[in-house]
Amino acid sequence: MTLRFAFPVCSPLAPFLASSLHRRLSIPSRSSSSFSPTPLFSSDHRPPLFLRPPAFAASRTDLHDFRRWAESLALAAGPRLSASDGGPDAALLRRELAWLVEDATVAAASESGVGEELRLRVELEELYRLWKARIEERRPFQYIVGCEHWRDLVLVVKEGVLIPRPETEMVVDLVAEVEGFEKGLWADLGTGSGAIAVGIGRMLQEGGRVFATDLSPVALEVARLNVERYELKDKIELRWGSWFEPLRDVEGKLMGLVSNPPYIPSSHIPGLQAEVGQHEPKLALDGGEAGMDHLLHLCEGSASALKSGGFFAFETNGDEQSEFLADLMSIKLGNFFHNIKMISDFAGIQRFVTGFRR
Amino acid sequence: MRNLGFQWGRNLVRRYYQRYDFLISSSSIPVLRLHPLQPSISRGLFLSAQQAYSTESHSELPVDLLRIMEQRMIAIEQRSSYLQEQINQATVSAVDYSRANKELRKLGSSMELIKELRTKEKEIDGLKSVMSDCVEDKDMWNMADEELAQALVEERRLQHLLLKSLLPKDDADERDCILEVRAGTGGEEASLFAMDIFKMYEKYSQKRGWKFDVIDIMESDLKGYKEASGTISGPRAYGRLKFESGVHRVQRVPVTEKSGRVHTSAVSIAILPQADEVDVQLRNEDLKIDTYRSGGSGGQSVNTTNSAVRIMHIPTGITVAIQDERSQHMNKAKALKVLRARLYEMERSRLQRSRSKLRAEQIGSGDRSERIRTYNFPQGRVTDHRVGITHHSIEDVMEGESLDMFVDALLLQEEMDAIASFGTQ
Repeated sequence: MTLRFAFPVCSPLAPFLASSLHRRLSIPSRSSSSFSPTPLFSSDHRPPLFLRPPAFAASRTDLHDFRRWAESLALAAGPRLSASDGGPDAALLRRELAWLVEDATVAAASESGVGEELRLRVELEELYRLWKARIEERRPFQYIVGCEHWRDLVLVVKEGVLIPRPETEMVVDLVAEVEGFEKGLWADLGTGSGAIAVGIGRMLQEGGRVFATDLSPVALEVARLNVERYELKDKIELRWGSWFEPLRDVEGKLMGLVSNPPYIPSSHIPGLQAEVGQHEPKLALDGGEAGMDHLLHLCEGSASALKSGGFFAFETNGDEQSEFLADLMSIKLGNFFHNIKMISDFAGIQRFVTGFRR
Repeated sequence: MRNLGFQWGRNLVRRYYQRYDFLISSSSIPVLRLHPLQPSISRGLFLSAQQAYSTESHSELPVDLLRIMEQRMIAIEQRSSYLQEQINQATVSAVDYSRANKELRKLGSSMELIKELRTKEKEIDGLKSVMSDCVEDKDMWNMADEELAQALVEERRLQHLLLKSLLPKDDADERDCILEVRAGTGGEEASLFAMDIFKMYEKYSQKRGWKFDVIDIMESDLKGYKEASGTISGPRAYGRLKFESGVHRVQRVPVTEKSGRVHTSAVSIAILPQADEVDVQLRNEDLKIDTYRSGGSGGQSVNTTNSAVRIMHIPTGITVAIQDERSQHMNKAKALKVLRARLYEMERSRLQRSRSKLRAEQIGSGDRSERIRTYNFPQGRVTDHRVGITHHSIEDVMEGESLDMFVDALLLQEEMDAIASFGTQ
């Protein structure tokens, strides 16, 4: 399988360097290996915005001016954005602005107007630049503040990592319904930011483990940050590699397998809202022609990966894909699996396929 | 009905003063200005702040009250020993055991006081017989007399404590609560006052060390609050704020008013005790949960910060929508919290309505349409109509400084109501 960079290679980087990086990445593709902590490529070495120290200051009036400017931009752009490709409307943008200011400022000791100066995590000019990028380039809000609130977690995200979706929150609940899950071995395939792994990891007890795998070094770097922030290093093991390959040593021993694999049909990607199509990693979105390349691969590999009685849950692009896969698992692969279910998300779409290994 | 309740309250209050003089002891309590409509109500009743009956010297309880208390004491003693027997049986089932144990624990504090009181009664009897036996022995008699005096004081203290423990308690008092503010008649001005009053409760909460968390705000055109809700978390938050439920009337010159005329508008407030999963069990089958649907496939194809959740409780039709948390999970959790509180409140009012008429007309019965307080800005004062108290610094009240004054008086009235109904059983 060709290794594609999950992020656009910056133009200043010389082509020869890009290809040497490519070679370094392709070497461990056949063997499973634990992820090495040195980031191979990072476009921004600073910590995410919401974690930076409040090293800057601005007066209340200046911040107020910024907000007024940003709001008018949002009001003007909102209708255009939402009409063009289902992007955010004015109300949503205004709320994102409020959160941006919340994440960028340190709460004052007293709420009243006492104290002219506020402490900021970025300089005021940067705030202007960031908001301009939000509106004009459609840079995702979550990349700007460097985090996504997901379930009861605050996960670090950045360019090169898929921003965890609200639908995926349910996967953790589905895992929690499995009898004895707390002490089992779990695998989160294509972990991205590590969202599902951290969600499960926090509920595990003695003996429970999550193996979180991904093909993207950037994703693993971010996942490692999140695992550390939630102090789950002893519960979650990050592994680099493609799907089942890094898990050969635990083949047949897994109590459960979960995944939110790329499931968007390739042809749909250009038509997606700009925040997704132009900023999030294609590696995390593209599922091939029908969007099911990876899902099918996962379905077929689960039989040997799971132990007897093991559980799987996969997120899909919706009704059509879920029905196809549910059929596959219960009929063609019916010798290996049973108790196949399709679970709807809160928007009423059949979002997940779950079942058990016989 | 409203007026009748208010009227009746005043008469009962007069009766209290006569029968329950024992509640008012210390004269160090400051006198409050009384509402002009209630000149006849004696100062004794509406003395503020300190719980008068918790000071050192207790007056004697009325005889009929003591008689009822004695009946209650016997009933509790009998119940307690019956439950104890049940527990000690070798063949008791686990269910019966835990049920009996639970009830015993509830009676526990009353039983403690009863035992102490019985001991004290025996001591008093003993001393009295000593005194009647040795009338000639002056020294002996004096000693016994002194001890008797002390024992009687102690007996009264125990009786007061026991009375308090026997009064019906609202378990909800200890809980956190949800504040709901709604602008009533008066258009834009009502919305602006709704905002002021919402912020007043925020300040009051902060002063009391409670945590104030906004749930939702619906703004009006002039940035007032058409509707606003929040959770208030801290010890006894509900117990102190429950009296705020009702209609708050405001008289002032609106900011929009050009001719300087005073307008009257109204804001209605509801305080709900928070309920947890034990109080209100929600079954998944009874809930219809909806989220924003992008119109497309959702999932990976969408990046939105809109994670609004709407939950409908199918059996009752109650719907809650929350949108301002940053994750869908948190919006859902908040919506469930509000839903539980509403269902709990529904159940509580249903129970309260089925109780005696007396209880239903008492303070804190939660009649939401009752006009309970007037805020008069031109005259700079706030009046609570239930206890007839007026505070002459409206700025203090709006800063959350002086609400305690009203709350303490209302708590006192609630206690007296409880004693009255105790006495009629």
